[in-house]
This record gives sequence, C-alpha cells and structure tokens, in this order.
Amino acid sequence: MSLYHTAQNIEASALGQTIRESTWLFPAIESAHLLALALLGGAVLIISLSVLGVDLKTPPAEIYKSAHRYMNAAVIVLLATGILLGISEPVKLYGRQAFWVKMISLAVALVITYLAFNPLVKRGASGIGMRSVTGLTMAAWLLVAMAGRWIGFS
Amino acid sequence: MLDGLVTKLADTPWSIGLHESLYMYAITESTHVMSIMLFVGTIAMVDLRLLGISYTKVPVSQMLSKMLPWTVAGFVLLVITGGMLFLAIPIRTYHSLWFRLKCMMILIAAVNIAIFTFKVERDKAAWDLGPVPRKSKICAVISLGAWGCVIVFGRLIAYNWFDCDSITSPAMAELTGCPLDPG
Repeated sequence: MSLYHTAQNIEASALGQTIRESTWLFPAIESAHLLALALLGGAVLIISLSVLGVDLKTPPAEIYKSAHRYMNAAVIVLLATGILLGISEPVKLYGRQAFWVKMISLAVALVITYLAFNPLVKRGASGIGMRSVTGLTMAAWLLVAMAGRWIGFS
Repeated sequence: MLDGLVTKLADTPWSIGLHESLYMYAITESTHVMSIMLFVGTIAMVDLRLLGISYTKVPVSQMLSKMLPWTVAGFVLLVITGGMLFLAIPIRTYHSLWFRLKCMMILIAAVNIAIFTFKVERDKAAWDLGPVPRKSKICAVISLGAWGCVIVFGRLIAYNWFDCDSITSPAMAELTGCPLDPG
C-alpha cells in the first residue's frame, strides 16, 4: 500500500473523523501544541545561552538538570498533539511541501538534541564544537516551528 | 473612533498589500510563532525560578538580568509582526472576540509585570538564593496563566465562530462591537 493510501485510510479512521468534525477539538489540540512549543523554546534557549557564555552563576550541566524535564515534557506533548493534528488531515499534509520540510527538520532536531546536545551538555563539554552543536540545535527547532506554521499556508 | 480608524487602516495600500501578498503574510505569521518561543519561553523559565521549583541555584537577580534582554528581543519581534498581522486584516481582527480577550490578557500580564518590577522584586537581595516569598510565586502564576491565555486566544483569532456575520445576541454584539443583524 502506498503512503498516499495510508494517508487516506488514516483520514477515514474514527479518530481522524472525530477531530475533523468537532468544532473545538482541532483548535484545542493546536493550542496545546503552541503552548508546548513555547515551553520547548524556553528550555532549549536557557541551556543554549548558558552554554554560549551567558553567566547564570551556575554551570550549564546544572541548568540542564532543571531544564531537561521541561524539554522532555514539551517534546512529548508536541509529538502527541502533533500526531493528533496529523491524523485529522493526513491527505492534505501529504501534498504539502512545508509538512515534509517540518518532518525532516523535526527528525534532525530530535537527533541533534538527544544524541549530541543533551549528552554533551551533561558531560560539561565546551569549546567551538559544543557552540556549533548549540547553534545547530537552536536553528533546527526554529526551522521546525517556522515550517510548522507554514503548513497552514502552503 | 477606533471603528473609523480600523476602516481607514484597511484602505491603506500597506494593509491591502500585506493581505494580498503571497509570502509576506505567511512569513510574518511564522516569525510571530517563532518569536513566541523566545518571548514566552524565556518568561516561563524565569517564572519557574520565581516559583522556586526550578533553577534554584541561579540567583533570582542573575536570572532576571540575563534573561530579560532575550525576552525584550522576543517582545519587539512580536509587536512588529503582531502589528503587521493586525494591519493586514484590521476590521475583522478589531471585532474579534478572541483578539479582544487577548488584549485584555496582555493588559493583565503588563500590570503584573509593573507590580513585580516596582514592588515585588524591590527586596530581592534578601531572597536571591533563599526561599522565594509568596508574592513572587503569585506574580509567577499570574504571568504563566496570562501569557498562556495570550497564546491560546491568539491562535483562536483564526477561527470565525464569533465573526460579525454570525453574531445574533445583543451581549455578543456589545462584546465584539459588531452591529446586530436585525434579521
């Protein structure tokens, strides 16, 4: 079965229909998605700023200890609400370039964050390499947010 | 008076240009969303410190002074892009119930910031690293709640549930400033 057929099947599913046909469900899920995005932005930014030399009188690894809980919570809510939004209109998404840009940048952002950025911060890494990873992490998440909003227009 | 102003605004070439452009509106809206991450994100982190539940090893004074520039940067971007979004669709936005609720929440958040700046944080040297006082926690909760509502109401402006053409009750006509359809 092709990806397009899968999208059609998901769209026809009971959950997809329920979200699509409800007046409030889609906007409510969208709102939760945006709130989690703001939380993620704050968590990524405070760790990044600390790594980049903004003096919080506390080492980045210590900032990470507080921030990573919010980062993880935000990512979980973003993925859960994002999947629900996707289930309600997969056929439309299938044809939108912005959606695929977002999915690729999301994959890149998750890989950089959880396989490079977070472990390096925890280890107390510094230097040009660490700064580059930090810049890439922030850029990747900003692209995810931008492409995400763009899905509504393309 | 405001009615006349938004009508005039809608007729300006800037408004029509923004409204009709293929990319500018989308770029503006996307930048608005990205700036939320910067603005509300940094505010949320500061509020979590002011609640005393996170970043407790960071002095409150340091948290405030080092995060504020980023919050201000986010604010500037939000005001510019938000102003442009309003300019693109002035009449509908002016009458939007959600836009009006959003403005109210921004006002509450602004008063809260003023109270925090001029009263609450005055003696912060005494609790820079110690247990945070109740007044700081109250400000943080109001801030998180108000800015959260600003995000949600802002998102809901896009929905036409309460647009002028669907207003039937006098109370809603009053709230939205829409003329009540006699039919």
